[in-house]
Amino acid sequence: MSAPTAIGFDLVDHHGTPVDAGTYRGSWLLVQFGFTSCRVVCPRALTKLTAALDGLGDDVDRVRPLYVTVDPDRDTPDVMKAFLTTSYPRFTGLTGTPEQVEAAKETFRVFARRRADPEDPDGYAVPHTAMTYLVDPDGRWVRHWPDTAEEETLTADLEAALAA
Amino acid sequence: MTTPSVLDEAQLGHLRHWDDLSRRLPHDWSGMQGKGAGEDDFGSYRFQLAYMIYGLALTHRHRLPAAPGVVRPTIQRLIEKLLMPDVWMYWRDASRGGMVMNAHLSEGYHEEWDPVVRDNIMYSAYVQSCALLHDVLFADDRYAQPGALTFEHWSFFWGGEPKRFVYDRESLNENLYWQMVQNGYLGIACEPNCVFQICNQPAILGFRLHDVITGGDRAEEVVAGYQKAWADFGRLDDAGHYNQMILEDTKVVAPNALQAPWVDAWCGALMNTWNRDFVRENYPRQVADFLIPGPDGTISVRSTPAMNVMGQTVVNDTCDLGWVAAWASEMGDRATLDGILAHADRFMNPTWRDGALSYPRNDTPTDADGNRTDIEPMSGNVLIGYARLNVPDGLHTLYQEPWGAEHFAEPALTEVGRDVEVSRAQVVDGVLHARLRRRSGDEATVVIDRVPPGARLRFDGQEIAADGTVTLEVPPGPARDLELVP
Repeated sequence: MSAPTAIGFDLVDHHGTPVDAGTYRGSWLLVQFGFTSCRVVCPRALTKLTAALDGLGDDVDRVRPLYVTVDPDRDTPDVMKAFLTTSYPRFTGLTGTPEQVEAAKETFRVFARRRADPEDPDGYAVPHTAMTYLVDPDGRWVRHWPDTAEEETLTADLEAALAA
Repeated sequence: MTTPSVLDEAQLGHLRHWDDLSRRLPHDWSGMQGKGAGEDDFGSYRFQLAYMIYGLALTHRHRLPAAPGVVRPTIQRLIEKLLMPDVWMYWRDASRGGMVMNAHLSEGYHEEWDPVVRDNIMYSAYVQSCALLHDVLFADDRYAQPGALTFEHWSFFWGGEPKRFVYDRESLNENLYWQMVQNGYLGIACEPNCVFQICNQPAILGFRLHDVITGGDRAEEVVAGYQKAWADFGRLDDAGHYNQMILEDTKVVAPNALQAPWVDAWCGALMNTWNRDFVRENYPRQVADFLIPGPDGTISVRSTPAMNVMGQTVVNDTCDLGWVAAWASEMGDRATLDGILAHADRFMNPTWRDGALSYPRNDTPTDADGNRTDIEPMSGNVLIGYARLNVPDGLHTLYQEPWGAEHFAEPALTEVGRDVEVSRAQVVDGVLHARLRRRSGDEATVVIDRVPPGARLRFDGQEIAADGTVTLEVPPGPARDLELVP
C-alpha cells in the first residue's frame, strides 16, 4: 500500500450537486474527513484548518477546503450545509451514498468505524482518521498532516506547496 | 546495572555464534529448526534472524559503539537471509486465512505471494525495522536503494514465471504506514484478521528509525493513534497481562488467557521503546506469575500446557524462557536475569564450538529432578544471547536517543577480520579504546577509520603513526589493548 496517489471520488456537495475530483480541477484541495455530530475531533480540526487558511492571505482563494463525511446516514447535504455555513464557512461539505463514501474513504486510506456512544442523541459515533490531505490542482495527492499538526505548521506548509 | 566496558566470554561467544549462523550457506538452517512445521510459529527463522539483528544493534549501540566493523557485515548477511523465500514462503499459504480462530473467514482471502503487501506484519515489520536499524546505526542508505529489499522466488520444478516483489526502505515503510493509517492505527494483522500487539511494536520501532533519517514524526503520530485505538479495548486483560490480539472483523479481544509468559515478555520488552512507564509499572507483578525458583539461585520459567484445538495438540516453540530473559534484561532486573542465565548454564547444555556459544534445542521438558531442560532454537541461538548483550532500557534508549552526527565523526573500527575478537570498542573523552584478540585463523586485519590528523595510536605497546585510515594486523596471542589519542 502506498500514499493515496490516484485521487478519485464521486459524491454530492452540500448544495445537493453531484461532484467528482474533476469538479475541482484547477484548485488545491484541502480535504478533511469527519462527521457533523463529532463533538471534539472535528470541531477542533476545522477550527484549526480555518485559522491556517486565514493565514494564507490572498492565496486562500487558490485552496478549496472540503469536508467529507464518514457518516452518510446522518450527514445529508442539508445537515452538512447547516453545520458548515454556521461555523466553518470556508468548507464545502461532501456526502453521498454509503457506497460512495466508502469508495472515497478507500481512496484516501481513511479509517472510520461506527460504534455505540451513549452520549450521542442517536446512540452512536464514528471514530475516524483525523488527518488532513492536500491535493494539487491536477488532482494528485501531495501530502498529509496528522491531526497533531499545529496551525502555524499547516499555514507554512500550505504556503510552501502553493509557491512550488 | 552499569554497562561493563569489556565483553565477557559468554557475550563474545554469542556474537561468534550469530556470526557463524549468518555465514551459513543458502538454505542451510541447521540448528535453527524448531518443533513446529512450516515456519508458522514463534520460533521461525524470521524471528531468529530478526532478533539476532536486534541483538547486534543493541550490542553496537550500548557496548561496542566504536566497532561498526564487527556488527555491520553480520547484520547485512542476516538481512540477506531474512529476504530468502525459505523465510517468507509460509505467507503464500497463511494469506489464505483459515487460522483456527477465524476459519470462517477463509473464503474471503486469496493466496498472496507478496509477503509484505498486506497483513503479515509478523514478517514485514522485521524486514522494515532491521533494514532501518542498519541504515540508522551506520548512517547508510544501503536499503534505500531501489530494489534493495526484493523478494524473489522461482522454481525449475513448479510455479511458472518467477515471483519478484520489489521494495526498498522507503516503499516498505510507506506500505506499512498506510496500512496502519487505514486500520485506524489499531495495528496491522499477522495472520489475516488477527492484529497482535506484539507484532506491531517492531513496526513502531521502524517508524521511529525512519523518522530519525527523515526528520519526520510518524512514530509519534502512530503511537498516539495506537494508544487511542487500543484505549477502547485495553492493553491489559482482566488479569493484568497483555491482551494478545484483536480480531479485526468482530473487534473481539483475545486476552492472554493461558497467562503464557512469552505474550507478556515479548510485548513488554518491545513496548518499552515508547511506553516505558507503563511497561515498568506492570512488569514486577506480571513476571512474578511466570518464575520458578530453582536450586542455588537459579530461576526457571514455566510454560503453559500445549493447547488442544480441533482435536489437535498445538505444536510450537513458545520461547518462554528466552523471552522472559530478554524482558528482564530490558527492565534491568538483574536478579531475575542472572537467575535465568544460571539456570540455562546449569540445565540447558551450554555448548561451545570454535568460540561460539549456544544452547542446542532440547525437547525434553525436564530432567529427573524436574528442572526445565526444554529449550527452543529461538531461545538457545538468539534470546539468551540477546539478554546477555542487552543493557537496562537498551531498546528504549535505542528508540529515544539516536546517535547524532558527532558519533559518526568519531574514530571507529570500520572493518574487522573474522578472526579478530573485539571485546571493547568505545570512545571515552575523545580517546578510542579497543581490546582485540586474534583467534586461530588468517583474517586478522582491522581498519580504523576517521582518525584525526596528528593522532597517536598505541597498540600492543607500540606507537604507530596515524592519520585518516589505519590498517593493522592483530598478532596471535592474548588480547591486546588499543588506544587512539587525538
